[in-house]
Amino acid sequence: MPVEIKKFDDKDFAKLIQRALLAGVFLSSLLIFTGFGFLVSGSPAGLGVLRAGMLALLLTPAARVIMLIYGYWRGREVYFALASFIVLALLALSALV
Amino acid sequence: MFEFTAINFLGLLAFGVFIGLLGSAMGMGGGIFMVPFLVLGLKLPMHQAVAASLVAIVATSSAVAAVNVERGLANIRLGITLEVTTALGSIAGALIASRLPGGILQLLFALILFPVSALMFMKGKGLLLRHVPASRGGAKASAFDSGFFDPAIAAHTPYAVRNMAPASAVSFFAGSLSGLLGIGGGIVQVPLMNLVCGVPMKAAAATSNFIIGVSAAASAYVYFRKGLIPLELTAVIVVGVLIGSFLGIYALYRVKSEKLQVIFSALTLLVGIKMLMKAL
Repeated sequence: MPVEIKKFDDKDFAKLIQRALLAGVFLSSLLIFTGFGFLVSGSPAGLGVLRAGMLALLLTPAARVIMLIYGYWRGREVYFALASFIVLALLALSALV
Repeated sequence: MFEFTAINFLGLLAFGVFIGLLGSAMGMGGGIFMVPFLVLGLKLPMHQAVAASLVAIVATSSAVAAVNVERGLANIRLGITLEVTTALGSIAGALIASRLPGGILQLLFALILFPVSALMFMKGKGLLLRHVPASRGGAKASAFDSGFFDPAIAAHTPYAVRNMAPASAVSFFAGSLSGLLGIGGGIVQVPLMNLVCGVPMKAAAATSNFIIGVSAAASAYVYFRKGLIPLELTAVIVVGVLIGSFLGIYALYRVKSEKLQVIFSALTLLVGIKMLMKAL
């Protein structure tokens, strides 16, 4: 039944989004902890690593939007793929202005 | 300038945990309390407080959305569509904020807390729609219609989404609040989706949480590029927020948030008065 296939897709899709979000969150926490480790030990690299951690966190929503573009494109939901793409473009724009 | 001591460090961390718990248990970004805490408590300049709050919102949203998406609570189609205008508003808000003096921002922040407090009170008193009738005679089905399993009534709860055009317009406003004041905008998005679009509370809160990650990120990029994010301080808060978010997801999922809402609406009112006194 096509309904069941769609449901399976939605679940896959949710997993994809979830993984992107968790990966971003864990990567950024790892960098933040490392950064603090460096800072405490007096290494000059500390602030740079902290900044990278912050950047990883801030890029997480963008990664999630990229997953949406991919997912909706694969599911042939062009309207939503386009909406996701516009959101990503706006995020890129905000990083440039 | 903010000085790091062991006590400050623990205080910041604890506050982050509190904000994270709020975010996951009540679907709030927490900016409403984060910004006043940083400005009134730690004497941080307004712009830096807004920037730090935005980063914290990205953290809560990402952590909580990961779980809500899996539970099928967040309406992703609705979320991504509203994100278009929200992100636009959020960029506009951040750009305007970076040109405004901190005092004006503080005044705006204080003023917005009063309607926010009223909204929270309404939510706490159950004046918003918890369950929306699935069928509305003559309404056309749309791609945004969805449903979720509500454990409270042990049933699948389908709902139809309406009034997308006005909702998108109001989302622009919600986004601009995010960029201007460092609040996620959930305080606008949740009642908007609930009252205007007809989305049940639980789904509206989850979808709003999903949306605010992007709106906060869009304005956070602007602040990041202008070097306004206080790195160490924000990093400590982020760690706390993440701990609180995950704790809240797994421990406080069943908490009854209605009573808390009324308490928080009083707290918001108090914070609003305090911020107003500081701004004037």
